[in-house]
Order: sequence, then structure tokens, then C-alpha cells
Amino acid sequence: MCAQKARVDAISLEPNPVIEAYKKDIDRSLLRENLKLTPEQRLLKLQDFVRFLVAVQQAGRAATR
Amino acid sequence: MTRPATDFAALLTRLLDARVAFILVGGVAGNVHGSARATYDIDVVYARDGDNLRRLVDALGPLEPYLRGAPPGLPFRFDEQTLRAGLNFTLTTSLGDIDLLGEIIGGGSYENLLPSTLEISLFGASCRCVTLATLIRLKRAAGRPRDLEVLAELEALAEESDRS
Repeated sequence: MCAQKARVDAISLEPNPVIEAYKKDIDRSLLRENLKLTPEQRLLKLQDFVRFLVAVQQAGRAATR
Repeated sequence: MTRPATDFAALLTRLLDARVAFILVGGVAGNVHGSARATYDIDVVYARDGDNLRRLVDALGPLEPYLRGAPPGLPFRFDEQTLRAGLNFTLTTSLGDIDLLGEIIGGGSYENLLPSTLEISLFGASCRCVTLATLIRLKRAAGRPRDLEVLAELEALAEESDRS
């Protein structure tokens, strides 16, 4: 168990240039809004979003049949 | 065919009500911490002791779990014997998709990961979720190119959390 724990902690969090490059395009306003919510509210928001995405996908498929 | 939307609340509530020992990881864990990225399934690392396998079967068995992406009609039985014989299962259920992970790259088993979790309140119950720093480490350990953009968001989230 200690060896496994050490393994998790041993993974480097040093800045990675590729990740840093991607970071410039992150919309931080979305993150700040989410941080105002509780974990449960964040999951319910995800639920609504995924339901919307699935509905859009279904509508798109129906329109191209 | 479009996959039905996973009912995150209902699926998690079933696990919590049955007192299954599990840890949230993956995209849902990211959302718990404030990620704005959509995810379509629930990833959990589960404890593999006999009692927990029984609870897992009791919780998910009625939802007709089946191997995601497998052709229909395979003789797949979601029972303790199957869970004991395997390790990681990517399943579809009547409430949506769930990945049951006996071990995770970089994090090991449920017991290994437990010290790197926090307790959150979800749907009237207490639930274990990996910390944001651990989620970042696990994504880094997985080393998948598609995770680089996810990592950028999670690391930005860590910076924003530190600021707020």
C-alpha cells in the first residue's frame, strides 16, 4: 500500500510545455462560475448539459435521415 | 445510434444507497471539482472484497449491466463470480454508462487510492472522490494525448481554486 501511495505522489506535477500551451485557451470564467457551486450542483449542471447534447445529437440524426 | 444520457444522480444514488465502497475518478470527478467539460459516463474505483462485490451486484444487477460495445447476446452475467474473475469493466446499464475499475494506472487499487480522496456530500449521502491534485496526477500517469487538454483545464482549475 505504501509503495502504491508513493507511486501516486511520485507522479510529477512539474509544468509541461504542451499543457501550458493548451492552458492559454481555457475559458477561466466558466471555471470561476463552477467554483461558486457545490459539488452536487456541479453534477446536476453536467446532467443538464449532457441531456442537452444527447437531444441535439438525436435531432441532428433525425434531420439527416 | 445515439447513446442515452447517463443519469448521474440516479446511478450514484444506487451505489450510495447500497453502501458500495467506491471512489469517483475520471470526468465526473473533474466535474465535482469544477471542470466544465462534458463526460458521458461514471468512472469509479471499487473495493474488491467479497462484501463489496455483493453490494455492487445488488446495486447494479437490476439495471441489466452489459459490456459496453460488445455484440448483443453474449453470455455475460453480472455476478460476484464475474467481478472476482475480472478487474476493470466498462458497462452500459439502463441508467447509463459506468466504468468499474478494480485498479487505475498511477493510483492502484481502492485501498491504495483512499488516502488521496476527500469526502463530499452528494444526493443526501457521503461520497469519496479523488482530490484535484490526485486527479491531475492520475491523468498525467495515463499519458494519453487526448488528456493533455483535460489536464490544462484541471491545472487551471487548481490555480483558480488557490486564488479563491
